[in-house]
Amino acid sequence: MAVFVQHWTAAKARIRKVWIGRKAQKVKRMVIGQYLNDGLMAKAIICMMLSFIAYLYLQPLLYMVTTMVKPLSDLLDPTIKWIPRSIDWSNLRKAWYGLQYPEAFRNTLIIALCCSIFQVGICAITGYALARLRFFGRNLAFFLIILSFMVPPQIIIIPLYTIYGELGWLNTPLVFLIPALFGQGLRSALFIIIFRQFFSTLPKALEEAAKVDGASGFYLFTRIMLPLARPAALVVFLFSFIWYWNMYYEPSMFLNSSFTPLSIRLNNLEAVLLGPDMSGAKISAQNPITEGTKMAGAFMIIAPPLLVYMIAQRWFVESIDRTGLVE
Amino acid sequence: MSSERIEEHRRRRRQRWLEVLREQGLGYLFMAPWAVGFLVFMAIPLGWSLYLTLNKVKLTPNGFDYTWRGLGNFRDAILLDHVYPVKLLTYLQEVILMIPIIIIFALFVSLLLNQSFPGRFLFRAIFFLPVIFATGQVLTELFSQGAGELPFIDQYNVKPLVMEYFGPRFAEPILGILGKVVIILWYSGVQILIFIAGFQTISKSVYEAVRIDGATPWESFWKITLPGAVPFIGLNAIYTIVDLFTFPLNPVLEEIKNNMFKPDTGYGYASALAWIYFAIIFILLSVVFLLLRKAARRRRRV
Repeated sequence: MAVFVQHWTAAKARIRKVWIGRKAQKVKRMVIGQYLNDGLMAKAIICMMLSFIAYLYLQPLLYMVTTMVKPLSDLLDPTIKWIPRSIDWSNLRKAWYGLQYPEAFRNTLIIALCCSIFQVGICAITGYALARLRFFGRNLAFFLIILSFMVPPQIIIIPLYTIYGELGWLNTPLVFLIPALFGQGLRSALFIIIFRQFFSTLPKALEEAAKVDGASGFYLFTRIMLPLARPAALVVFLFSFIWYWNMYYEPSMFLNSSFTPLSIRLNNLEAVLLGPDMSGAKISAQNPITEGTKMAGAFMIIAPPLLVYMIAQRWFVESIDRTGLVE
Repeated sequence: MSSERIEEHRRRRRQRWLEVLREQGLGYLFMAPWAVGFLVFMAIPLGWSLYLTLNKVKLTPNGFDYTWRGLGNFRDAILLDHVYPVKLLTYLQEVILMIPIIIIFALFVSLLLNQSFPGRFLFRAIFFLPVIFATGQVLTELFSQGAGELPFIDQYNVKPLVMEYFGPRFAEPILGILGKVVIILWYSGVQILIFIAGFQTISKSVYEAVRIDGATPWESFWKITLPGAVPFIGLNAIYTIVDLFTFPLNPVLEEIKNNMFKPDTGYGYASALAWIYFAIIFILLSVVFLLLRKAARRRRRV
């Protein structure tokens, strides 16, 4: 009897050991994973690291949004870092008047939208020629494009200023529209290179088929190549739009009065608010211009591109995957 | 019979020539707008600014007033000016340190983003965010208010530590970089994007094949992902250099702008400074190009 009991307990222990061992192995595999990067633990670590970096990225934005709605007393109180005691919308109103928002918004939109459309068109044409057409001097042209990508804008700003002055374009949107139309806009060289890379990844058979069908080179480009380049065009459009929207240096030289975009007006915010005009902001000792006002202005500048990005980001991320942006 | 054949041959040759000519013509037609733009908005201004560097330029009510100085502006910039060379060298030191940091950081983040895990989509959206703001006046405004500093530098008293371990000579650029960590993060948006796009060009089947052969992910990173990413590392290096040198908070460009409106130096001198700057960028980029070509050649041989 005693022997039987002894056997029984031993067997039970062994069964338990095996069973637990198997389960433990299963858990272990789930946690650590079969390979380095497919276990739960690896995923948790990746998520944690990314969350930390994402926090660093989002921090200035959060700072901007919370500062924007802080009333004066909260701004002066060092114990309040993130969450304001009460929400004060007057900063947004002040910034609205200070930036003269509707007008400035219209100016910025005209420049950004027109220029980025022009850039998509002209850079596609130039990139296509560089990638698919054989002509004498092609390598030279490509070298010049790379060179023009490297030229700091400060080198040519004075001659450009004089040229634009002679042409009477200063303080009009033409200063940006015409160069963009001729492939010399903001970072046009980069966009030309992106299109060139994209077009050079397309199969050679496209041209041969077109030749057999007797299609002209022009027809081939507009009807076959351009529609295929849609992902590249989207990437270029978005980049171009956002860079034109945010640009500061060039408009600070060329657009000083009358037709000024948002980025310039952020600097003049204070002067406009304090100036003798009929704005409805009513600046006084009780209602001063604070850091919060500036942050509200900054927020109102980035809100539109943020919105565009939110709408377009799904396609944007996809087309980055597909463009072969880089090769 | 044979004359007919010669005729046929000639006709065909003429046709081929026509085709080549047509393609050439189409090429020039497509390049024409860019070429006009390049001439008017790039080549002429560049030549003009080169001419400005050789003169002392005064702005008078009826246009520019040039006084020929030869290479005097360059001599002054290098030998007499005691602000510009210092600023230039400090910034150059900083940039040379920042380039590898940005690239390694971007590579690291893009590798993480390339794994599959829940919420990947959200993270990708957040990490492309800097692309939107990094260029703007808004960011400058934020950093001027101190939103761009790392919280732990003051908390843990990092400064004396760095001073002690690296010596005062190297401590300055290192501290400068630590103070700019968040800016570095913000300037690696496009680079992350380029890396992610680049990883998509490495085919999945290669990874599967080595996995079946028993390679760990660690090995497959060093043997497949990294060599595959070399061209993108080069591209990112070029992009980073160009981006950092045309960066709005850049002290060198600030100095050039200051000189532009100083009465005793003027446009000519400022242009000379800008050209020295450009020459340095050009040399740096040529070095990167040479290294890249070498790497590409080595890969081809293997």
